[in-house]
Amino acid sequence: MTFTISPPPHIKQDTTFKKITWMKVLALLPVSLVSVYFFGLYALAIIFAGIGMAVITELVIEKVFNKKITIMDGQAVLIGLMLALMLPAEAPIWIPVVGSFFAVAIGKHAFGGIGSYIFNPVLVAWVFLILAYSSYMYPVSFPELGGISDIFLENGAGLLIGVSPIALIGGLYLILKKYIEWKIPAFYVLTTLILAFLVGDNMGHVITGAFVFGVLFLATDSPSSPVTKKGRIIYGVLCGILTVIYGHYANYIFAVFYSIFLANCVTAFIDNSTLPGSFADESFLQRKYKAIMDKIPFERLGVKIDD
Amino acid sequence: MAEINIMETIPDKMVIPLKQHNGDVCEPLVSKGEVVKVGQKIGECPSDRCAAIHSSVCGEVVSVEESSHPSGNRINSVVIQPVEETECEDFTPFKDSGREQLISVIKEAGIVENYGTPTHLVLNPPDCDIDTVLINATASEWVGHNYETPLEYASEMLDSLRLLMKAAGASRGAIVLRNDDEDSIDAFDGLDYEGKTIMVAPLIGKRRVGYYFNDQDTDIIVVSQDKIYGKNIFEYFTYNVTGRKVPFRCTPASVGVAICGVKSAKALNDLVNTGMPYIETVVTVSGQVNNPQRLLVKIGTSFKDVIEACGDYRGEPAKLISNGVITGVAQYDEEVPVTKMTTSIIVQDKDEVLKDISKDCIHCARCVDVCPVDLIPNRIAALSNQGRFDECRQMHIENCIECGRCSSVCPSKIHVMQLIQYSKEAIARADEDFSEKESSNIKLGCSCGSE
Repeated sequence: MTFTISPPPHIKQDTTFKKITWMKVLALLPVSLVSVYFFGLYALAIIFAGIGMAVITELVIEKVFNKKITIMDGQAVLIGLMLALMLPAEAPIWIPVVGSFFAVAIGKHAFGGIGSYIFNPVLVAWVFLILAYSSYMYPVSFPELGGISDIFLENGAGLLIGVSPIALIGGLYLILKKYIEWKIPAFYVLTTLILAFLVGDNMGHVITGAFVFGVLFLATDSPSSPVTKKGRIIYGVLCGILTVIYGHYANYIFAVFYSIFLANCVTAFIDNSTLPGSFADESFLQRKYKAIMDKIPFERLGVKIDD
Repeated sequence: MAEINIMETIPDKMVIPLKQHNGDVCEPLVSKGEVVKVGQKIGECPSDRCAAIHSSVCGEVVSVEESSHPSGNRINSVVIQPVEETECEDFTPFKDSGREQLISVIKEAGIVENYGTPTHLVLNPPDCDIDTVLINATASEWVGHNYETPLEYASEMLDSLRLLMKAAGASRGAIVLRNDDEDSIDAFDGLDYEGKTIMVAPLIGKRRVGYYFNDQDTDIIVVSQDKIYGKNIFEYFTYNVTGRKVPFRCTPASVGVAICGVKSAKALNDLVNTGMPYIETVVTVSGQVNNPQRLLVKIGTSFKDVIEACGDYRGEPAKLISNGVITGVAQYDEEVPVTKMTTSIIVQDKDEVLKDISKDCIHCARCVDVCPVDLIPNRIAALSNQGRFDECRQMHIENCIECGRCSSVCPSKIHVMQLIQYSKEAIARADEDFSEKESSNIKLGCSCGSE
C-alpha cells in the first residue's frame, strides 16, 4: 500500500487567497447592480471597461515576463471592479481603461506583484487619474445623507460607489468569516466618527458609500496594511485622523481615498516600530512596580505573596 | 472519560526499535535465535542520555536489523516472533525505595516522556536541582489514560506525583489540567488526599502555581489552564504555570522545574507497585478506520496490526500519520512499530490529503492573530527563507512552540512552521560551533540559569 508523505500540519483551513478575492468581488456585486440601476447601462460599460482592461493587462504582463498566469485568483478582476466603482458616472470610457492599466501595470506588477506592492494599486491608479485628468474625475455632485432612505439609495451620488451605502453590507460578512480582519475597520470608523463629531462636521457628509467602501475594502487590503496587532490599530486610527483632516477642509469622499493612500506610505514604518516583544518581557511600568514591591518587607509584615 | 480497550490479538511479528527516546541508541543484549520473556531487558544503555528497552512479548528473536521507525529514519531494531504462552520475568515492586534508587530504577525500566526525553534525565538533570514537578495533562491524547474510574485516575495521579517529587527531590508538585476538560476537573475537584481537600485552581493572570501553593498552604496542587500544544512548549509552559522565564537555549530544569506527562507518571506508578517496566502504551486511533478507539497496545506492535485491531481501514487509505494531525509525522510504511513516543495514529483518505501549492505571502496577518506566543510568523518565515537568521533571533524566534497554527491558517499555504524550524535548527547549529574556551559569554548547560 502506498502512503502520501508531506510535512505537517496535515489539516489546514480551506481559506485560500483565491477564495478571499472572489468573495470580495461577490461582496461588491450588490453595489454594482444598484449603480447600474441608478446610472443606467453606461455604468455597466464603465465597470466592464475597468475589469476587462485589468484582466488584459495582467495577462499581457505575465505572458511577456514569463510569469505564471494568475488571472483565476481574481485579483485583476477585483482591482478593475474597485477602480471602476470609484469613478464618476459621467467619466469617459477611456478613463477606467487607462486607470485599470495603470493600477495593474504600475500599481501591482511594477512593485513586484501580489503581496509586494506598498500602495493599494486601486488608489495608485485613482491618484494618478485625479492628478492627470482632474476635470473628468470630479463628479457633478457630492452625496450627503439627508435621511434614512439615503442609506438605501443615495440620490445625490456622483461616484458609482456612492449610490447605496447599505449595499456594501457584504463587507461585514467578510469580517465575520475572517476573510478581512476587524481591527482596521473598527478603529478607522471609531476615530473618524469621534473626530468628525469633535470638529462639528455633519455626520451626513461623513458616512457615505465611499466611506463605507474605503473602510471595508480599501483600508483592509492586506499587503498595504500592517500585520502586527498594535500596528493595525495605529493604522486604523491614522486613517481616521487623515480622513477628518482632509474631509473637514475639503470633502469626505476624496478624503477617504487620500487618507488611505497616505497611510499606506507609513505601513512599513508602523510594522517595524510595533514588533511584539518576547512573551515574558516586562513593560516599563511592570519593572517599576516590581522595583517598588521588592522594597516592601512583606515577610516581616506577615503577608503572603505570589513568588 | 473515554474508554480504553486492550489489544488482545498477538501479532505475527514485533519490531522493537532500540531507540525510543531522544539520545543514544541502545546496544542489543540478545541475538538471533534467543528466546525472550515479557519484560526482559533487550537493550542496554551505553551512556546516561538513554533509556533501557524491554521486550513486550514472549517469543524468539528472528533478527536484529535496521527497520523503519515512526520518526522517519531507519533504526536498529530487535524483531521478535511472539508465541502464544506468556511467560513473564519476575517483576519486583520497588515500594519505599529512596531517591537514588528510584532514579536508577526509572532508568532501568526505560520510562520515557512522550516528548522523547528519558524521565530520569527530567527528574535528575546533571548540575541542576529540581524544586517543582509539573504533570502536564493539558493535551487531549494523554488525559484519562487507562483507568477504570475518574476517581481512580485522580488518586493514582496524585500518588504518581508524590513519587515523581520524591524521585526529583522536589518540595512542590502540581498537576496541570485543561480548562475545558470537565471530566478530569470533576475527578480531582473535592477529592480528599492526605487529609486535605483538593481544589482545582485556574491559572489566571498573575495567579500562577506559586500563589496557590501559598494560598492553599500545601505542597501538592491541581491547577487548570488553556490547552497548549506544540512540539516545543516547555519554555512557554513553564512560564505560564510557574512564572519563571527559562533562559535561551536552556531546559526548564535550569529554573528548577521538571515537566512530566501523564503516561510516564502512570508508568512510574505501575513500576513502583508491580515492578513492570515500560512495555505498553495507550494509542488513540482515529480517522478513516472502521472502529476508532483508544487502545492499550504493546510497544513494538506495527501500525498495521493496530489498525487491524480497530476494524481495518475504511475505504482506501492515503495517508498514515503518527502523533496528531497538526505536528505529526506522515508515515511511508504501515509496518512501522508503536514506540514509547507514539500517542496517536490517524488515517486520512484520498480526499483529505492536501495538495496545496505555496504562493506569495499577502500579509493578511491571520498567522499573527493565531500565534499563542505573539510572534510575527510571516515575517520570520520570510527572513528564514532568505537565511537572515540574526534578524530571526531579534524577532524572538526561540519562543516558537511549533504548534503549526500559522501553517494551518495560511491562505497562501506557505510552510511557515517548517521555515521557522529550519531557522531554529540553523541557529542552534551555529552556536554549537563555538568552543567553550573561545566564547566565555556563552555558557552551556544549566549554568546559564544561575545568575
